Amino acid sequence: MAARIGIFAVVVAVFLSIPAFSSAQDLQIVNAERRIDLSSHIVKDFLTLKVENIGISPAAEMLLAFSPTQIKNLAMVQALAITGKKKKKTYLPLDVKPAEQPDAPNDTGYYRVTFVSPLGPGETVSLEVLYILTNSLEPFPVEITQSESQLVYYHDSAVILSPYHVKQQTTFVKTPSTRVESFTSIEPANRAGKEIKYGPYENRASYSYAPVIIHFENNSPFAVVEELVREIEISHWGSLQITEHYRLTHGGARHKGVFSRVDYQSKRSVSGASSFNALLAVLPPRVNSVYYRDDIGNISTSHLRTGFRKSELEFEPRYPLFGGWRATFIIGYRVPLEDYLFEASDGRRYLNFTFGCPLVETIVNKLTIKVVLPEGSKDPYAILPFTVNQDLQVKYSYLDIVGRTVVVLQKDNVVPTHNVPFQVYYTFKPIYMLAEPFMLVSAFFFVFVASLAYVHIDLNIARK
Amino acid sequence: MAAKPIASPISVALYPTLSVFTLAIGLVITAIFFIYETTSSRKNRSLGKELATSAVASVFLGFGSLFLLLASGVYV
Repeated sequence: MAARIGIFAVVVAVFLSIPAFSSAQDLQIVNAERRIDLSSHIVKDFLTLKVENIGISPAAEMLLAFSPTQIKNLAMVQALAITGKKKKKTYLPLDVKPAEQPDAPNDTGYYRVTFVSPLGPGETVSLEVLYILTNSLEPFPVEITQSESQLVYYHDSAVILSPYHVKQQTTFVKTPSTRVESFTSIEPANRAGKEIKYGPYENRASYSYAPVIIHFENNSPFAVVEELVREIEISHWGSLQITEHYRLTHGGARHKGVFSRVDYQSKRSVSGASSFNALLAVLPPRVNSVYYRDDIGNISTSHLRTGFRKSELEFEPRYPLFGGWRATFIIGYRVPLEDYLFEASDGRRYLNFTFGCPLVETIVNKLTIKVVLPEGSKDPYAILPFTVNQDLQVKYSYLDIVGRTVVVLQKDNVVPTHNVPFQVYYTFKPIYMLAEPFMLVSAFFFVFVASLAYVHIDLNIARK
Repeated sequence: MAAKPIASPISVALYPTLSVFTLAIGLVITAIFFIYETTSSRKNRSLGKELATSAVASVFLGFGSLFLLLASGVYV
């Protein structure tokens, strides 16, 4: 008995020391249900997987596979483990990281999901995976006139791409309207209203792929911010000043022909169906001194509603945005310091702020967040739940001698799901706050000393 | 871990009042300084008195201008 346990332990130890890709054949997906939401230009995929360990040793992680085009457009992957049944379900977030596999067929990309506890042989676990794709809806026709509706292509696979054998799977695709020009039919596939159902498919081998193209109408606003620079200036005298520089475009089918303002205003439901003229920004609750301007000057078409939990700024650019049109503007506001600056237990101060873009349902191609720390701050350090590029700069502002340290965080392909809190830690000695009034005091004292010198100096040539 | 929020050492609502009062006191002491300069003759002028008055005046004027900047929205 002890010898058998010993041999088993040695086999397990040998097996666990082999790199992860050899466990690809030891897991099996018993049931997979995928729901693809194509209602807006941000494609959201919800995958419910029931994974079974058919190997002989515990599996600590599993791989999610994505086609090469999807990996480029993937903005976020999240996974939750479901425990409990029916009403008592609990969801535990799992660690998801991009993974490199040396023997990937056809440039498949992978993400590795680590289970809460290693899955024993014969055990099953239920997972829910959410992944978000940007720039995945291809407008076709590429150019449309003002009176046409916007039709887009969506490329995907009817069969879920997976490095494991999938026993049973179904895919549901939800379109924003009932107008679907065409969709590739891979038996059994049918369409009912706004939903297309692919499946159920039985016993598909690993890495099976059945490309489908869905051509449908999508008139939701394709608001894409090409570049957003957010500057958060911390002042220990009591406020946080946030300035945001936007470069907004309409990322859908390009507009061709003339823009008729008469048609646009009289037949609004038909004319410019895919254009948008208003945007909503969600701002912090206790916000004041909000301004909305561009290079020309102030833009008055905006409404601010302050609230308890959040404030909403509904603003309109100077013109409606059609496909390919751009708008550049600046939004700035101020929030009280005590809502966002805290003291950690080890004496360091940290700023707790929300990452991402305040605009709802927009993609940001390139987001730069600059946190300007007050003069005299040392050891800046940022903590984020996902990877960003970090950098340090120096900014010279009011009453500065040595300049203020700026923590620059840069990320590409940002979606609203990235609006999570992040922290920037730094050390600051409160005595440095006196540097600014001391500078002003010494300036006034210099004036007095100059007047004293003028009164005391005797410039007479003749002796008195 | 309940984090302790950090606020300004002086309440933000006090900035306008503080700026008015400190600037007023500073200007009064500046006036005292210049009156002393013009009314005293070269012989009975005391450098210590002059320096003391100018130091106190510059402190009040410096803090007053800081609170004025903060009250008008330039959070330095």
